[in-house]
Amino acid sequence: MNTCGIDPAHLRNRATEIKRETAEAMAYSLSLGLLYLGLLCGNGLVSARSELFTPDPSRGPHFTGCRSREQETFRCWWSAGIFQNLTEPGALRVFYQTKNALLSEWQECPDYTHTVKNECYFNKTFTHIWTSYCIQLRSVRENITYDETCFTVENIVHPDPPIGLNWTLLNVSRSGLHFDILVRWAPPPSADVQMGWMSLVYQVQYRVRNASHWEMLDLESGTQQSIYGLHTDKEYEVRVRCKMSAFDNFGEFSDSILVHVAQIPSKESTFPTMLVLIFGVIGLVILLVLLIFSQQQRLMVIFLPPIPAPKIKGIDPELLKNGKLDQLNSLLSSQDMYKPDFYHEDPWVEFIQLDLDDPPEKNESSDTQHRLGLSRSGSSHVLNFKSDDDSGRASCYDPEIPNPEDLASLLPGHSGRGDNHPLVSRSISSIPDLGVQQTSEVEETPIQTQPAVPSWVNMDFYAQVSDFTPAGGVVLSPGQLNSSPEKKKEEENEKKIQFQLVSDGAYTSENTARQLSTEVPPSPGPEQGYQTFPTQAVEGNLWNGEYLVSTSDSQIPYLLPEAPPAPILPPVSDYTVVQEVDAQHSLLLNPPSLQPAICPHSPNKHLPAMPTMPMGYLTPDLLGNLTP
Amino acid sequence: MNRVKVLQAWLWCVSLWPCWLSHAVPLDCKDETGSLIQCTSISQEKLLDRVIQHAELIYRVSEESCTLFEQMFVPYPLHALRNQGGTMCHTKPFPIPGSKSEIQQISDKWLLHSVLMLVQSWMEPLIYLQTTLNRYDDAPDTLLNKTKWVSDKLLSLEQGVVVLIRKMLDEGILTPSIFEHTLTPYDEPSPEIPESVLRDYNLLICFKKDAHKMETFLKLLKCRQSNKLSCLSY
Repeated sequence: MNTCGIDPAHLRNRATEIKRETAEAMAYSLSLGLLYLGLLCGNGLVSARSELFTPDPSRGPHFTGCRSREQETFRCWWSAGIFQNLTEPGALRVFYQTKNALLSEWQECPDYTHTVKNECYFNKTFTHIWTSYCIQLRSVRENITYDETCFTVENIVHPDPPIGLNWTLLNVSRSGLHFDILVRWAPPPSADVQMGWMSLVYQVQYRVRNASHWEMLDLESGTQQSIYGLHTDKEYEVRVRCKMSAFDNFGEFSDSILVHVAQIPSKESTFPTMLVLIFGVIGLVILLVLLIFSQQQRLMVIFLPPIPAPKIKGIDPELLKNGKLDQLNSLLSSQDMYKPDFYHEDPWVEFIQLDLDDPPEKNESSDTQHRLGLSRSGSSHVLNFKSDDDSGRASCYDPEIPNPEDLASLLPGHSGRGDNHPLVSRSISSIPDLGVQQTSEVEETPIQTQPAVPSWVNMDFYAQVSDFTPAGGVVLSPGQLNSSPEKKKEEENEKKIQFQLVSDGAYTSENTARQLSTEVPPSPGPEQGYQTFPTQAVEGNLWNGEYLVSTSDSQIPYLLPEAPPAPILPPVSDYTVVQEVDAQHSLLLNPPSLQPAICPHSPNKHLPAMPTMPMGYLTPDLLGNLTP
Repeated sequence: MNRVKVLQAWLWCVSLWPCWLSHAVPLDCKDETGSLIQCTSISQEKLLDRVIQHAELIYRVSEESCTLFEQMFVPYPLHALRNQGGTMCHTKPFPIPGSKSEIQQISDKWLLHSVLMLVQSWMEPLIYLQTTLNRYDDAPDTLLNKTKWVSDKLLSLEQGVVVLIRKMLDEGILTPSIFEHTLTPYDEPSPEIPESVLRDYNLLICFKKDAHKMETFLKLLKCRQSNKLSCLSY
């Protein structure tokens, strides 16, 4: 016969049969089913024996439960219920049927237990697992079936509780407040675990003694489990129960055991800890000190790096130290840095065009135009200035103040007015005339009123060297600007214009820069020789040479934009500091240190690797070397 | 609680997956050229242990699948059907004793063969079960994965049992499949939910029962291998 395949028709038959049986089951086993479902579906339900077998007095005769302990025998109990006339033994009888392939007939209970009332006992021979049993509670006299239920034996197995529950201490925490234990037990003797007849899993529960809530641990298939985190000085109860794996019926709990660990005062443990800590710290400190002392030099190098010695590319620092200026001089002269053509390349130098041939034009328009042109170019320079890379020039300038303001202020018609700050006023008034794009700029630029006469006006940044004293000092001519600024103004307007920019560009102080609103750099610092200039194509001679050589020149080498009403002569020193030596062996001297403006950029940028001459006065021997 | 169990079992399955893969090495080892090479061999004890582990795992997963299915699709009052152990299981025909004493009297050979028969008889129904479960609208993925996993594991269990038979009984089994499987899946366009649900539920219950049988037999076999006296004497 086809034992394995099920054809659809057969399946349909099965389905109808299932339907019928379902209806029956629903009708008859609903009350009993609730009990069973409570066991099956609620895993956490602990059905005490007393609860399970409490018969429902409001019902008729019914089964109160069936149980198997070891999957080899099982028992069933029933109750007469409200039908008190059926309580006598024999009134109600149990019939069972094993639902195998063959629908066997109903057989009566093989053994009615004598000692226990209303119990039917199926021994080993009658117990078959993997087979479905149906039992019926009948009253034979009346031939009424009061109750029926079906089950398989493995589904009603409630194993006996494990035996031999004991505990051992695993460890106690450092603080002495917590401890861990290992709980061991043995499987119930009735369950044949060894043969594999029953595979048991266990569940351990514990609680503080007399507390209401039990802590449950996970299911354990072995026979031991650790419990962690118990408190000392508290008494605990531990119990265990088991069930068949993959089934839902827990057995009874084992007897509880008491676990208690006394708290050990552990003050002694802290004492050596403290000592160890202290000694450790002291040792560490000693080690550190020793380390520092032994590695002092190295640490000094790391933490206090030495200041780099003066170094010139290509020149041995020893030369500088020993003062062998002969060699130094020869070296320096051989360098390329002071070649004259260097300055030809600088546009700002070219800009310094001493237009001596052209008569000073009194024509305003031409001047204006000239200035316009200049201004335009200047403005363009101004505008480009910001984007223009410095190419090494010291750019200690205030970029916010545009150039045209200065140009505007230099209009001849506007000069010489007794305004507080002629520059300022003129710049304002002359802006519309210019009509250049810098208008907005000029208007917007903040105009700083000059509270007092800028001292820069009269300051000699570079004094003319008029003579050398026999002693070796340098005699400088005093500043001549203050004598008659207004007189000379007309003459040197153009020069002023140019020099204005020049001076503004190169030799003015910070104040100047602010007031004139140029892009030129502020006053030169001690190191500063040639300051940045707006790039203008000014063909001309060497700025340098003209400036210094023409001592007799009435032209003022540096330009004053306007004469202040009350000139304050800065003290002109007879001796000034030699700032640097140019390629032609001329001296560039320091201004008297009134304006300690420091340029952010080192002026050495445009003069690469200029030797920093020792600040101070020239010694005779040095001087001798320097004369051309 | 069921979810936790499902998760645990699933994690265990996943963790044991490479273990089982490594175990599924047939003893007839052949390399790419086809020549027999030295196989990695394990002892009979170990093989039996692994086979038992397989069976245990299959049993647990089958129980979880049954529970999952029951929770999802079976109406609450019908949960009692589970208690009844399945009304009609297709493997009923070959008689398997149900009492412990009877089972203890079964010979090793019979035990192994019955296990093999059980395994082989369930291969096709499980595939059928997979297809039917796919038809359910809201079948949980875990359920589908479990059934798929079980059908895969059944194959390796079959392999192991075949090897065991060969080793322990010195027999050779040529054809893996003895039974004709004519269980064809229904192609009903829209099966009535109660019918198909009950049918599948029944199938799962029966499978769980048979998995339990397999496990029990194998464990009994192991007991006999290690300690004959305590297992037989009762």
